[in-house]
Parts: sequence; C-alpha cells; structure tokens
Amino acid sequence: MYAYNEFDQTLIDQRVEQYRDQTRRYLAGEIPEEEFRVLRLMNGLYIQRLAPMLRVAIPYGLMKSDQLRMLAQISRTYDKGYGHFTTRQNMQFNWPTLESVPDILADLAKVQMHAIQTSGACIRNTTTDPFAGVSADEIEDTRPWCELIRQWSTLHPEFAYLPRKFKIAVSGSSSDRAASQVHDIGLHLYRNEVGDMGFEVLVGGGLGRTPVIGKTLRKFLEPQELLTYLDAVLRVYNLNGRRDNKYKARIKILVNALGVDAFGAMVEAEWQLIKGQELRLPEAEIERVKGFFKAPDYLSAMHASRDLNDTFAEHPQFAAWYKQNTRDHKQAGYRIIIVALKNQLQAPGDVNHQQMDGIAALADEFSFSELRSTHDQNLVLADVAQRDLFALWLKLQDLGLARANVGTLTDMINCPGLDFCSLANAETLILSRQVNETFDDMDYLYDLGEIQLKISGCINACGHHHVGHIGILGVEKGGKQVYQFTLGGSASNDASLGKTLGRSIEQDQVVVVIGQILDVYVEQRQTDETFLQVIRRVGFAPFKERVYGTHQRSAA
Amino acid sequence: MALIKDQQLSCSHAATPEMRFTDWVSGGSDAGDAVLANGADDLPSLLAQAGKLSMIAIEFDTFADGRGFSMARMLRRQGYAGEIRAVGDVAMDRIDFMQRVGFNAFELRDDQDALQALQKIGEVSVHFQPSADGKGPAYMV
Ligand code: HEM
Ligand code: SF4
Repeated sequence: MYAYNEFDQTLIDQRVEQYRDQTRRYLAGEIPEEEFRVLRLMNGLYIQRLAPMLRVAIPYGLMKSDQLRMLAQISRTYDKGYGHFTTRQNMQFNWPTLESVPDILADLAKVQMHAIQTSGACIRNTTTDPFAGVSADEIEDTRPWCELIRQWSTLHPEFAYLPRKFKIAVSGSSSDRAASQVHDIGLHLYRNEVGDMGFEVLVGGGLGRTPVIGKTLRKFLEPQELLTYLDAVLRVYNLNGRRDNKYKARIKILVNALGVDAFGAMVEAEWQLIKGQELRLPEAEIERVKGFFKAPDYLSAMHASRDLNDTFAEHPQFAAWYKQNTRDHKQAGYRIIIVALKNQLQAPGDVNHQQMDGIAALADEFSFSELRSTHDQNLVLADVAQRDLFALWLKLQDLGLARANVGTLTDMINCPGLDFCSLANAETLILSRQVNETFDDMDYLYDLGEIQLKISGCINACGHHHVGHIGILGVEKGGKQVYQFTLGGSASNDASLGKTLGRSIEQDQVVVVIGQILDVYVEQRQTDETFLQVIRRVGFAPFKERVYGTHQRSAA
Repeated sequence: MALIKDQQLSCSHAATPEMRFTDWVSGGSDAGDAVLANGADDLPSLLAQAGKLSMIAIEFDTFADGRGFSMARMLRRQGYAGEIRAVGDVAMDRIDFMQRVGFNAFELRDDQDALQALQKIGEVSVHFQPSADGKGPAYMV
C-alpha cells in the first residue's frame, strides 16, 4: 500500500502542531466557539451528547497491521478500549477529551495516520471497493486513483470552506461495493468500446434528508485528466452551491436545481480552461503511485491451495463461514476474507482493543500485514492462502469474530443513534440487539439469502436506511421513539431509494414487523428470487396488508 | 485594523475601497481603480474587467463563505497582478490558505493579533496542490 515519503510526513506533522495551537488558543478563549467548531470539525472532532467523538481517516479503507495496533493503543490510552468502524471506512472514538486530541493526532502521525477532513464542509475521505486489487470481477484497481485523489484533496486551500461536505467514492469492478451512486461524486473506472481505460463520472448523489441517486455527468474521462476535472466540478460547486440553507447546500441540490445538463455545461466551460494544464497527471506520476499497489508475493497456486472438502465435512461451521464470509480472489489458491464485526455482543462496526490487536496479528500471519475496512462496517483480510483458512478461522473464533453472517439480515449497518449522537431522534443500538436476539437461527438467515438491513437514528441517514433492502429510520413522535420502515432500497449497481411502507412502528414492535416482512417474502418468492427481486415484482401491497392489517386487528 | 501585506505588517497602505464592484461597473471614468467585491457579485464580469483595477478587496461576510477563495484563484490564474485583499471576517486560521489561492493582503478582524497571524503563513510548509505562491505538489517541482 501507499507509504508516506518525507513530504507526506512533514505535512501531517505540521498539521498536528497547527491543530495543537488551535486547541490551545480555543481553551485560552482566543478563538470564538463557532469558529473553533468549524476548525475542529475539519479535523474530525465532534462534540456529542456525552463526550467528544473523534473520527480518524482510513484513506480508502486501507490499513497496515501497525496502524490498527495504534488504533487499539489509542482506544486504551485515550478512550474506553474500543472503536467504531463507519460506513465511510473510517474509525470513530467515542470518548476522547478535547484536550487530548492533539496528542492522539501526534500518535496517529507516527503511523502515517490523521483525522484531516473527516468532517466539515470540505472534501472528505475518498472511499472505494474493499476488494480493490484482489477481487475476481475487477476491471481495474482503484487504489492508485484514490491515493491521487487523497493527495490532491488534502488541505486543498480553495476547497476547505465549501457550502457543505463533499464525498467521493470510486468503483472499479462490475459490482459496485462502494455505494458510488449515493456520493457527491461517484467514479467508475472501466474500459470503453475501444479498450481505453477511463472514468464515468456521476454527480449529485447523496443521502441525508433529501436522498438522490447520482446522475452521469461525463460518460468517459481520460484518467490523466482526473484531477483537472474534479477541480472544475469543485470550483463550480464552491461558487454556486447554496449557502443560505444548510439543508439545501449539498451539490445534489445544485445539480437538481440547474438540471444535470446545465450544471455539466458550467463544469465543461471551467474545465476547458484548466484541462491539460498543471493538474494533468503525468504518466510517470501515475506509474509511481501504481507502484505502491503491486501484488504481494503470492505463493504459487500449488502451494497456496488446499482441498478443504474433508475439513468442511468435519466442521460444518467452518464450511458455513467459508461460504458466507469469503469471496473469490483473482489469484488462484487465495480467498478474500471478510471479518464480520456483527456479533451478538457488540454494536455493528464496533471492535474492542483486544480484537484490534488480534486482527492485526492475523493480518501479519496470514495476509501480508494489510487489512481493509468496508462500507458495511466489516473488515477484510484480502490475501489469504486457502491452506491457511482453517487456522485463521480457529483464531477468529477465539476473538469472537467468526460469525458466519456476512450478507445476511444480521450483517446490518447501524448508526450510533441516541446512545451517542446529539442529533439523534431515537435509539438504534437497541434495535440491532433485538434483531440479533430474535433472528439467531443461522439456517433461517441463510435460507433468506442476501438482505441488507440499514438503520438510522434520524433523518441525516448515516445508517443509509434509504438504500437498505429494509430501511429503518428512527423518529420522535409525541415524546416517543418510533420507527419508519422503507423497503426496496439498494446501494449496488441497481441503486434505488426505498419507499416508505406506512405509518411508524413502536420500538417493541420493530422485530415483529421485520419478522412479518420476512414471512411475506418467504411466501411470495419463486425459485431463487432474492428479497429485493420479490419487492420489485410484487410491490408493497402484501407487505402492507401483513404489517398494518394484523396490527389494526390486534389493536381493535 | 491591522493589515498584512506581502507577508509583512503594513503601516502605510491604501485604504480598503468602499466602492462596490456593482457600483463601479455603472460608475463611469471617475469611479477609481479599486473595488470591493464579494461572492454574490457577477464573477465573469469581474474577471473581464480586472485589468482595469489595481486593487480588488474580496469581502468575507462570514469566515465560512469559501467563495472568495475561488475568486482569488481565478483572478490570479488569468494573470491579474494587482492587490487582492481579504477583508471582513478574516482570521489567522485561514490566511495561509488565502495566500495560497492568491490573496496578498489581509485586513484582519479586530480580535486578531497581527504578529501571531504572520506566523501562520507557511505553518504547513508542503502542499499537494499547485498554488499562487508557485509551490506545487511533489511531481510538479
Ligand atoms: C455520531 C456522530 C455523527 C454525527 C453528528 C453525524 C452527522 C451527520 C449529518 C448531519 C449528516 C447529514 C449530512 C447531509 O444531509 O448533508 C450525516 C450523513 C452521513 N453520515 Fe453521519 N454523523 C455521525 C456519525 C456517523 C457514523 C457513525 C456513520 C457511519 C456508520 C456516519 C456516516 C454518514 C453517512 C454515510 C452519511 C450520508 C452522507 C450523505 O448524505 O451522502 N455518520 N451525518
Ligand atoms: S443518522 Fe442521525 S442519529 Fe444516526 S449518527 Fe447520523 S446524525 Fe446521529
């Protein structure tokens, strides 16, 4: 993966000292509250209900084992011994003190990490496919491009005070695992009809209170012009995005107001002025950055492979784990391993410090000392030889991280909700606990197949409920926490926004309603039909009938 | 109000113009050659007329209004060589970025310590972007 040179290191070291001075001046009363708010957000520090929350950047989800060890150490030293992986591949600490943040940043800088631009109205951490560079269905590795975007966007002087946050996601395979259609900019790396590599550029996707699917802004962008084009889009947005109302300030609102064609014409006019100039990427620079992402020293297929059929027969749980939690690798004899952070005892995406140290050791032993965080709040060991799988599985069991539920109902996305978040209207973690307690029959979950359950504690949609096959949104009504269901959303290639099922459901009825929805699916499905396919075929009527029909009867 | 210009504390300098760009456009020949502009002004028109101006003061109504950064960048990009002065809600935590996009003068907010502010220029000494100060990313130098 990318390794800092002296230049990168100088930048983050100096940034730490800059932030240290800002914190000092704030505590001395020299920076007004509102101004410091913006400064600390640009460095990932929120003030939450009970404590500050620090979001650490994991650029495009890629980490060295040493970096995860440092996160573990930080959680022990400055926090309560655990951290939380977010849907944008970052890590959040829930309990640091404001005064300790400069020291945390200095520790992070020792392992080439930081919290730069993890919040605030600026260009955020660029995210991508957690299987980049290894998946069997990949067209082109996205990581070098993400790194180039990381560099260009880091401390960009012109785009630090945008109308609102700006998120970029890059996908480079036939299945979109980066939710690129619900980002401010989504980039799809592909080969066109004549075999040239380039980007399709989507613009104006996003969630929050006005969910929108991104629209194609440019069908094909020559890769050398990636940064000139991004620069043009950002400049048009910076100058024209709304600043009078923060709920209407995202680029999606501007694009919808102007229409994508008129917006595209403005970008085109600006781009013509800068295209081919200083930000055009020289071939040598592209090659230099690609050089950081070369394939590791894989064993030959003969040495890496192992016939696992006997082991499967002896250990059915291992077989189930292999089926659910591993994926095809492009290198013969290797598998991609998903370490599910979705067990019965912890909140989705949470890991404690022992687990972090444990996973780091497994990465050292089995996966070239690297690991990745995913959009659905899991971790990935990307390069594990088949012959090591059983040993790895045993060790994951010891860490409590071998639950074979990836892609199932209990592999949920969940925002922190009222337990932590000051914007929340309702609790969410209680729902994930209830779902885990109620739906604990693995055979039932496997039979249901792929179902994405996504839960947010308020309209800001951090839990991506709009694009969940089943989405749940917490709202407050008359002092009570109730939950709105949406069905039929997706963040994959067939991206769509879910539609509201009907009136809100009380907290203690949420799992009952999930059960009813699943029952209707099982009754309606034809051979091999997925949950999403059934909803798209039969519509909402049978689901409504079951959920509200029976409710009304039981209430009467 | 303290003014930093060309990386020094300035004691003698032209006053910040009160002439708004919109008024200057309709003002005729005696309107002078210095204007006050902000993010709401007609930017293409400002860019087109910049050659006639020796100073453009760009006003930040609030520090969070980042439009002025792009305005300065675009002026410098087309070769504007006059003074670009940041005025309004201007504080030390932004003047490094301001300088990098092309501002060369800063009229600081009243609560700002000018000497301290001077030291903020170049606090982060390496950049990944091309800047008005000519310092570019590693692959461009
Ligand atoms: C606990 C503190 C948090 C606060 C105060 C917070 C705040 C917000 C706000 C205000 C928005 C809406 C932005 C908009 O509509 O323009 C948002 C969106 C979002 N947040 Fe959070 N968030 C928090 C935690 C998280 C966590 C834990 C995750 C991941 C699990 C997350 C991921 C996201 C994502 C993916 C979006 C959607 C982006 C979009 O609208 O396109 N946030 N957040
Ligand atoms: S969706 Fe709402 S409750 Fe959940 S983390 Fe985001 S802002 Fe907080």
